[in-house]
Order: sequence, then structure tokens, then C-alpha cells
Amino acid sequence: MKLELIGLTKKYGNFTALDHVNITFTEGIYGILGANGAGKSTMMNLLTDNIPRTEGQILFDGTDILKLGRDFRRVLGYMPQQQGYYEHMTAQTFLYYMADLKAIPKKRAKEEIDKLLEITNLTDVRHKKLGGYSGGMKQRVLLAQALLGDPKVVILDEPTAGLDPKERIRIRNFIADLSRERIILLATHIVSDIESISDEILMMKRGRVVGLDRPDKLIEHVAQEVRESVVPGHFSLEDVYLYYLGE
Amino acid sequence: MRELGRILSRRRLALGLMAILLLNGLLFAREQREKDYGLDLELPSAGGIVSFDGSFTVTREPVDAWAARQRYSEWLDLVRGMPLADAVAFLNDEKTMISERLTGDNENDKLDFVAVNNILSKTDYLTGYGDWLENIQKNKENLLTFSLFNDPNSFSGRNILKTADEFEKLRGVELSIGADGAVEAFMTFPLTDYFLALMLLLIGLSFLEERKAGLWSVVHAAPRGRLRLAARRAAILLGASVAGVILLYGTDLVLGFYIYGGAEDLGRAVQSVETLGKLTMLTTVGGFLARYFLLRIASAFLVGLLLWLMLTAINNVKYTIIVAAGVLAVEYSLYTFLPVQSAFNILKYFNLFTYISLSDIYTNYLNIDVFSYPLGIRSISQLALVPLCLLLTGVCLFVHCRKKPAAGRDLLGRVAYKLNGVTDRGLRHLRLFGMELHKTLWIQKGAVIAALLVYVAFGLSYTVSIPVASATEQMAKQYTAEFAGPITDGAFARMDAEQKELDAAETAYEDARAAFDAGLIEYPELDRYNREAASAQIKSEGLKKVRARAEELRDKGAAEGFAPWLIDETPFESVYGEQAEYAQREAALVAVLALTLLLAGSMAYERQSGVTYLLKSTARGRGALVLRKLLLAAVMTTVVWAVVYGLEVYTLLTKFTVPAFCATAKNISMLSEFPFNCSVAGWLAMLYACRWLALFCGGVIVLFISNFARRLEVAYIASCGVMLLPSLLYAYVGIRVFRPLAILLPVEAMPLLTAANGALFAVLPWVAALISLAALAALRLFAPRRRPPAPGKSSPEGRAAEL
Repeated sequence: MKLELIGLTKKYGNFTALDHVNITFTEGIYGILGANGAGKSTMMNLLTDNIPRTEGQILFDGTDILKLGRDFRRVLGYMPQQQGYYEHMTAQTFLYYMADLKAIPKKRAKEEIDKLLEITNLTDVRHKKLGGYSGGMKQRVLLAQALLGDPKVVILDEPTAGLDPKERIRIRNFIADLSRERIILLATHIVSDIESISDEILMMKRGRVVGLDRPDKLIEHVAQEVRESVVPGHFSLEDVYLYYLGE
Repeated sequence: MRELGRILSRRRLALGLMAILLLNGLLFAREQREKDYGLDLELPSAGGIVSFDGSFTVTREPVDAWAARQRYSEWLDLVRGMPLADAVAFLNDEKTMISERLTGDNENDKLDFVAVNNILSKTDYLTGYGDWLENIQKNKENLLTFSLFNDPNSFSGRNILKTADEFEKLRGVELSIGADGAVEAFMTFPLTDYFLALMLLLIGLSFLEERKAGLWSVVHAAPRGRLRLAARRAAILLGASVAGVILLYGTDLVLGFYIYGGAEDLGRAVQSVETLGKLTMLTTVGGFLARYFLLRIASAFLVGLLLWLMLTAINNVKYTIIVAAGVLAVEYSLYTFLPVQSAFNILKYFNLFTYISLSDIYTNYLNIDVFSYPLGIRSISQLALVPLCLLLTGVCLFVHCRKKPAAGRDLLGRVAYKLNGVTDRGLRHLRLFGMELHKTLWIQKGAVIAALLVYVAFGLSYTVSIPVASATEQMAKQYTAEFAGPITDGAFARMDAEQKELDAAETAYEDARAAFDAGLIEYPELDRYNREAASAQIKSEGLKKVRARAEELRDKGAAEGFAPWLIDETPFESVYGEQAEYAQREAALVAVLALTLLLAGSMAYERQSGVTYLLKSTARGRGALVLRKLLLAAVMTTVVWAVVYGLEVYTLLTKFTVPAFCATAKNISMLSEFPFNCSVAGWLAMLYACRWLALFCGGVIVLFISNFARRLEVAYIASCGVMLLPSLLYAYVGIRVFRPLAILLPVEAMPLLTAANGALFAVLPWVAALISLAALAALRLFAPRRRPPAPGKSSPEGRAAEL
């Protein structure tokens, strides 16, 4: 399974949000790091075909996702950055609705929803309206819907934004436990979210990819290049972040 | 002042308040028009014509209500200031003279008759008022002779004495004639009471904003967030009561004075106005109005405080609204359904709705039993107002200060959770379309709109009376009904037979005349023959008209290849005819408004909820979802169409004979130029199919507009603007430039389906344009299918973005 981005470019007027990005994703968890405005969400929106691309291609197993259309969206799980939800729906109804939109048969949907509510620790509040949920609970519902239908490509845009440390760790561990037979793209600007779980880390700055490698390799590379680390004598992903993305 | 500024800066509230003001004025004016400005427009019949069953009379063309209202004012000016007895005598003389002149169709005479007749009706009340007061005293004497009532320590005995005492004070009060319409309309327009309550409810809801925004704890913790804020809110509520009463009731009164006049008659005794005849207060009309406005302000403040208390007493905003709605429902039920004689009638009169519908306690006289003592409902309500306002202000301030944002156990929340569990079990079986229906009807409150639609549709008038100008015409209609059916030789033979009978009556008169001349019969017998012959002559003229029409249809049928059929067209005309245009337009307006309100939120709700990108990333979130939305538009269209036009068809079916549906449509005069032959049923099917199609196209356009709105209120305003404004400006204001944009016309569909050949083709482009517009809108609703750009080349969207 391969998801290729070839010369992917997105411009808003004169502003280039994504500039000729070439990457190939295979099975595994990809942490996408970048400051605000680096182009992470633009890339996510292009991958979900929610905005038109200016140039380039996105190929899934060799076929452009625009050609695949619904077939690509069938294998896609997406959690947007903005918390979008129907405040008057309960978590259970919202998940059933999303399951129907994802064309998941009713019987399978029930099993999956029960399991995902359990995993995201929402079983006890499944009949509560989403409008009454805390920010963290809403994030968990959105994560649950993204994982409905056992998607092969999972795109998570800032999944831990606004969560307390305990919830962040819980969700991080859950993502880490997901089967590796899928492509998981996890965009964030919180380094600790992806440090321990990512197979590879993609560094983005001003719409360009400035680094892509395994976390240990990136740390090793940075350690050779710079002398001082954030914590003296111990190089971490934060040093990588500062090296690639700092001013 | 900042609290007031915060409230006034809420766009939704400001729009709501303005809409209430506008609606109140419009509905008040509309009600006056619908009630013919309080006038009885009936004219005396032309009289004397005997029908087959001896029952019908010839009605005259009705007079214009507004012209009659103006003429009424002119006549009123003539008699204003005259002693009542002189005025009555003068008016009676005038009425006799006008009645004699009324044999013709002179519009002026008709207007004079209506005006004088209505003033005389008023004088009946004024002249009879003294006797009515006298009767109350006589009743007292009579009732006290019965053992059942004569116990002075019982409620009945005390009530009889109290009633007589109170009306005794009115003895000698001088009633005079004047323009009462404004005050009558002002006192009997209950919608304003409910608009005021709604206004206060909106203000009360604005006090809950910090709770909705999650700022309650912050506000409660602020040094001025408790007593001072509560006191300011109480002051704002008082200010809103004053402003609301002045604006709403002031509008009614000013409009009333504009329509009816009477601002110069405010110095008369209040009992001069018939509606206020049971008021046991010695004051003038002006004095009463001033007092009423003050009491109205106090009662509005009280209602506002009660609503505020209900809204603040519960922590959760949603449950607050549910509980408040429950309390209001109970109070309304008690107020409306509790019998006056009930032992618990105190709950009926000492009720929130007594203060909402304050005018009721001034237009009725009633004492209730309080520990065997009769107490007037007006006195109780008035006396209790100020203490209740003070008490409730205190309670509201206390509750506001003491209520903690972080409350303990949420019992209602638990109940709601259980209920949600039950509904969730049902909802999980729904498919995509079912969920869209659920979102529209339940989440976006479409069910309320549907219920209102049913209520309004039942109130619509689908028929108009078709005036009959002459006795001959009336006879022609009766013969048409009698000979209705296929026009065959047999039908002509029956007409000939009837004609012979009528001719015989005329011959009999000739014979009788000869016999009278010969002295063989007396005059009364001749007169009987004469009347029979006169009647037969009118019938004969009517029959000739019917025969001519039958012959015309026979020839036309032969020429154009359809079977001629004599149809009683009156029911058809009264539903679809030119004179029913206003009724047709109103029905179309209701249908368009209901459909717009049902669908306007459909797409905007997704955007407001921020789920658009999420939905579009799913397998069925594009084409399939949009298809369901279009299907929803079709279902909603069908519901609205079935409710509004189902009632219309039902009305027709109750009057139109079923066999006539099989006749060719061209047999009906108004459809004589229809371009091709089809049955009446076929024509009706086309009419209603056109209406459905036009409504559906409108529904698709509403979805399209909704798709661009980021917020629900924007979607509702924009959709109503596009769908209704051009129609209103064209149809009700008369600005012709808006005609091509007025969707009411294709929804009415009458101009299309009654048009002559040329006109049909003139209308077709508009219909084609509407369908094309809807089709384009529907296509645009589906996400544009993008083609992948070739490597290294910009996509069209990309190039556009770069530009």
C-alpha cells in the first residue's frame, strides 16, 4: 500500500501554502511536525480532497485519488483539526450517522461503535448530547469516527489539541496500538505526541518538506550538526524540531 | 448600561424584536381588513324572486369594505354630537330613503346603506344600555326571592348584591355615539399580548447567555456579577416592559385611529364602547386607555419576572426552557380549559395568562368565590399586581445571587440521558435519509413548522363567493346544475320540455288577464298568475342562456373534437376563478414560506456545525448525501403540497360533482382557450403537478442558498429574502419589475394553465428558467468533480487560485 504525493502544490492567490511536495507514504505511523502555518492542514485537506490542488498528484496505489473518488474515501479515516460535530446529537447517534456515511453495514457498525466507544472511554456517556461534552471528549468522539470502518489511510489533524496530559497519553497510546497495516498520518506541533510512536517524522516549514526520516536518525543527524541540546547532554526530538523549524 | 448594550448588540435578538414589531403591525392591519373593518357589509336582497324550491334570493355585488369604512366615518361625523334620540330618528329616516333608492346598483347608495345600518346597530346598544342596567337591578330583586340565593351570608347572595351595587353606580352615565373601532380593535386583538410575552421571553433568554457561553462561573465570581447585575437585569426587564407595551400596543392604537378615527372621541364615557360595557368604572375612554397602558406595563413586568425566574431557577439552559414551556403549558391549560364554575377557578383567573391577556378582565364582569366572598377578577388582578411585582423582583434577585453555577446533582440531566438512550435505540436503525429527516424535523425544529403549517392551512380560505348580479343569472346557474352532464339530444329535449312548462305559465297569465277583464276572476287570483308569470319569465331567460351555452359547447366540441358537457362551474370558479386569485396567492405564499423554513437550515446546519470537511471525506458524504438532501426537499415539498393543496382539492371535491371530472376541460369557460383537449381531472392533475414542480424547484434553490450560508439565521434570512421578497413586492405592493422573480406565480400555476395559446408560450420561458435554475443549483450542490491535473501542470482551480 502506497500513498504518493508528487509535486503537490497549493496556492492561495500569491501565497504558496504547499510547495512541490514529493513524499511516498507506506504502512506505518508518520508524524508530521511543523509550526502553525507550515502547511500541515493544507496537506491534510488535499489528501481528503476538501480543497482543490494547484498542481501535482496524489496517487493511492498508483491511481490518482481524484480518479478513485469514492473508492479512496472508503479506505480513508479523517479527523479534522477543527472540532466539527452536531451538538444536538448524542455520541452514539453521531457515530451511527458517520458509519452510514462511510457505507459500513449496520451489523458491523454496531460492533465497531461499541468497541470504539469502549476504547475511547465514552461508553458511559454515549447517550449524552455532544454539545454537553468537554473538549477532550469531543476529540475522542472525532477520533472514534475517524477509525470507523477500519480505514487503510488514517489522517489525524492535531488529534490531541486541547486535551489534558492524561487524555493525550491515552490517545497517543491508542494510536500506537493501531495495526501497522495502514498508513497513519498524524499532524501536530506537539513534539511529545509523536516522539515515541512515529515510524517516521516529516518536518514541514513554509509549505516545504525540510526533513523526513526515522526519529532516531533525525536525532542522530542533529546531534552531529549542533553542539548544544535543550537538555544538556541529551538530544531529543525537540532539538530536531528547533534545528529544522526554529528561526 | 453595559448589560443593556450587551443585550441590544445581539443580532438575533434585535432581529427577533424587530420582526415581532413588524409582524404585530401587519397582522393587526390584516385582521381589521379580514373583519371588514368591523362592519356588517350585508345589503338587503333584491327580493321577491321565487326559486324552484322557493329559497334563493339574489345577492348584490358586495361593497368595498374600506370605502364603506370611510363612508361610515362621514356619516358618523354627521350625527356626532346630536342627542342620541335625534341621531337615531335621523338615521332611521335616512335608512328608509336609502333603501328605496337601493333598487339599482348605485355604489354610493350601497355604501350609504351599509354605513347608516352599522351606525344604527351601534345606537341599539347605546339606547338599550339604560334598560340593561335596570334589568340587573330587577334581576337582583327576582333572584333574592328564591331561597337558593337569598342567604346574605352565602357566596351567591353576596355576589348578587355586589353585582347590583357595582352596576348601580353606572346609573345615569351618559353614553354617546362616536368612533369606537380603534378601541374595539385594540381590546380584541390577542396576538399583541402574546407578542409582548414573546418579546419578554427573548429578553429573559438573553440573560442566560453567559450560561450558554460557559461564562457563568466568571460572571458569578465577579464583584458586580450578583446583586448589581441582577438589579440591572430587573431594571432592563422593567424598561423592556415599558418599551414593549408602548411600541406594540401603541402601534395597535395608532393604526386603529388611522383606520377608524376616533382620537377626538376619547372624552366619552368608557361604557360608550360596547366591548367595555361591563366595566364598572366611571371614567372616560381616554382615562381608561391611560390606566390600561399603566396596568399593561405592570402586568408585562410581572410576566417578565415570572419568565426570568423560571429561566434562572434551573442550571441547565436546555432543561430550563423545557420546564418553562411545561409551566406555560399548564398555566395556559388552566386559563383556557378550567370551567368558570369550577371550585378551582381561582387558578383560572389568578394565572400568568390573565396578566398576558389583560384585556379579558376589562371586557368581562366576573366575581369569584373566595371563602364565600365574591371578589371581582379585575380587582384581584389589579390589586395583586404591585405587591406581586415587588415580591417577584425580590425572589428573582435572591435566586440570581444564590444560584451556584456548579450545581450538585443534575436530576433532569439523568432523565434526559435515559430518554436519549431510548431515542438512540430508534435512531440507530435509520439510514442516511432517515437521519436527514431527523435532523430537519427534530434538530432544526421542522416539526414545529410542519405543525404550524397544518394550523395555518386549516385557517386558509380556499373558496370565494361568486356574486350573482341578476335573477336571470342565478336561474341560469340553477338550470346548469339541473342539466349538468353530457350535451346530447336528450338534454336538449329536456330543456325544450322545461321551456314549454314555462311558456305555459305565461299563457296562463294571458288567459287569467282575459278572464279578469271579463270579470270572471278577482284581482288576488290575477296577481298570483302575474307573479307566477314573472317568475316563469326570469326562469325562461335563465333557461335560454343555458341552452345558448349548450349549443355553443356543442358547436365548439364538434369543431375541436371534444365531447360537449354542461358543467356547473360555480364550485370550480370559486376555487380557481379570477376572483379566487387572492386566496390562491395566499395558499401559495403559505406553501412557499413553509417549504423555505423547512429547508433553509438543511445545508447551513452542516456548515455551522463545522462538519462539512468531515462529511466530504467519507464515502457517501458527497453525491449520496446531496442526493438524500434533494430527496428530503422532494419529501418536504410533497408534505407542504399535500397539506396546502390537499385541503384545496378536498374543498373542491365537496362541491364539484364527480362525473364532471371526466368532462373535457374546454367545457369550462375559464379553460375554453386551453391549447389541447384533456379532461377536467387531467387538467387538475397538471395544475397540481405544476405546483409540486414549482415548489420543488423552489426547495432546491433554498438548499442552494443554504449551502452558502455559514450560520442558520443567515440561511433563513437569505432564503426568505430570495423566495418571498420579490413575490411580496410584486403581488402585494404591485411593483411589476419583480414579476419575473416572484416564485408565487409558478406555484399558483394558474396563469400558466388558464392562459390562452399565446400567453401559454409567453409563460413557458419563465417555467423553463425556473426549472433550469433549480437544475443548476442541484448540480452545484454536488461537489464539483475534479480531474487530476497532469504532472507539472496547474489544474483549472489552481490557475484560478493563482490568479
